[in-house]
Amino acid sequence: MHDSSRSHDLRELPLDKLVACHECDLLMLKPELAPGERAECPRCGFELFSNQPRMLGRSLALVIAALLLYVPANFLPILQLRLLGQTTEDTVWSAVVALYASGLQGIAGVVFLCSMGIPLLKLLCQLVVLLTIYWDAGRAYGLLLYRIYHHLREWGMLEVYFMGILVSIVKLVSLADLAVGAGLACFICLLLIQVWLEITMSPHQVWEALSRGRTHASH
Amino acid sequence: MRAIDMGILVCPECHQLNRHEKDCDGQQLCIRCGARVHARHPNSLRRTWALLLAAAILYIPANLLPIMTVRSLGKGEPDTIMSGVIALVHMGSLPVALVVFVASILVPTFKLVGIALLLLSVQRHQPLSARQRILMFRFIEWIGRWSMLDIFVIAILVAVVNFGTLAKVEPNLGAVAFASVVILTMLAALTFDPRLIWDNTESDDDHE
Repeated sequence: MHDSSRSHDLRELPLDKLVACHECDLLMLKPELAPGERAECPRCGFELFSNQPRMLGRSLALVIAALLLYVPANFLPILQLRLLGQTTEDTVWSAVVALYASGLQGIAGVVFLCSMGIPLLKLLCQLVVLLTIYWDAGRAYGLLLYRIYHHLREWGMLEVYFMGILVSIVKLVSLADLAVGAGLACFICLLLIQVWLEITMSPHQVWEALSRGRTHASH
Repeated sequence: MRAIDMGILVCPECHQLNRHEKDCDGQQLCIRCGARVHARHPNSLRRTWALLLAAAILYIPANLLPIMTVRSLGKGEPDTIMSGVIALVHMGSLPVALVVFVASILVPTFKLVGIALLLLSVQRHQPLSARQRILMFRFIEWIGRWSMLDIFVIAILVAVVNFGTLAKVEPNLGAVAFASVVILTMLAALTFDPRLIWDNTESDDDHE
């Protein structure tokens, strides 16, 4: 990593030769990365950016795969429970509906947003952003949607939901006959693809691609 | 050398560097993405305190009120968060009980105390080192969402345990308080500006 204390050198450099750590505000020379490399802040260890090879194509493939899995993951049964001849099923969607029907509409809304709404919105934002880069059109929308994506990031909770499924399975095993459904497999695949996508779609590269050829992006 | 010392503002959204323009103070927009840029989040400490206090107040009903009731054959007892964990221990699934205990009791408590400590140590220059503080902040930020676990478990149980009078799970008001605590502490972590952690250690670093 470059020496950050040579402040006189830094002062004379143009902005695009510099980078500042997002988390601790340390200013330094922007390192040149080879494909597959990543740069960390020397002071606080925060990842500044990574350089993913063939980012656009790989990310597009992953987004499309995730969107295809979205419907079966949310609407196919995850768990089936049998008790004295009666069978009930649980899908991600039916959990939201059941909560809503039980009178806690606010909680139903939170569960809907964290497990279905925001994950879908995130994927759609990512898809449109990648397409605007791919087709080289509508960059202003791309910038706006990518900003929205960054605000949504924290609130999609597929992995927490998955842990919730596991805990529920343990709680239910002693109660009645339990079977897992095809929805669970789709849900796990969706979760894994989403994590993979988050690693592949390097924000720094996306912002660079979105701002290429634009000198000023004011409203 | 901090970016702020050179009159450079980092965009909070796309991390583009912007030269600070003196004339449009407070209203400067990022040259790349158009987000509002500030040297530090405005009123970061005050907002974080407000969200944290709201969370701390709701923390009480979240733990005392029942979060769900399991009824079988018409009979059933309401469960609080803690009694749900104890039930899991009695069922013999200790690892799962541990996961639920950590996610629903330890993590929310740790977050309330941890964010308060961060705020105090930034405001009063207390002896936590910047490294310790940033590690704590990252941990709080990362772990925040996992507390939602219990809410998802309730949602799944309500949907799947639905056999009329034979067996039924109903959610209770404690769940609302608990979900609010999780959301408020997540928001508190978001409004806290981690750059403040390094600001009041800057002078120490310069002498090294």
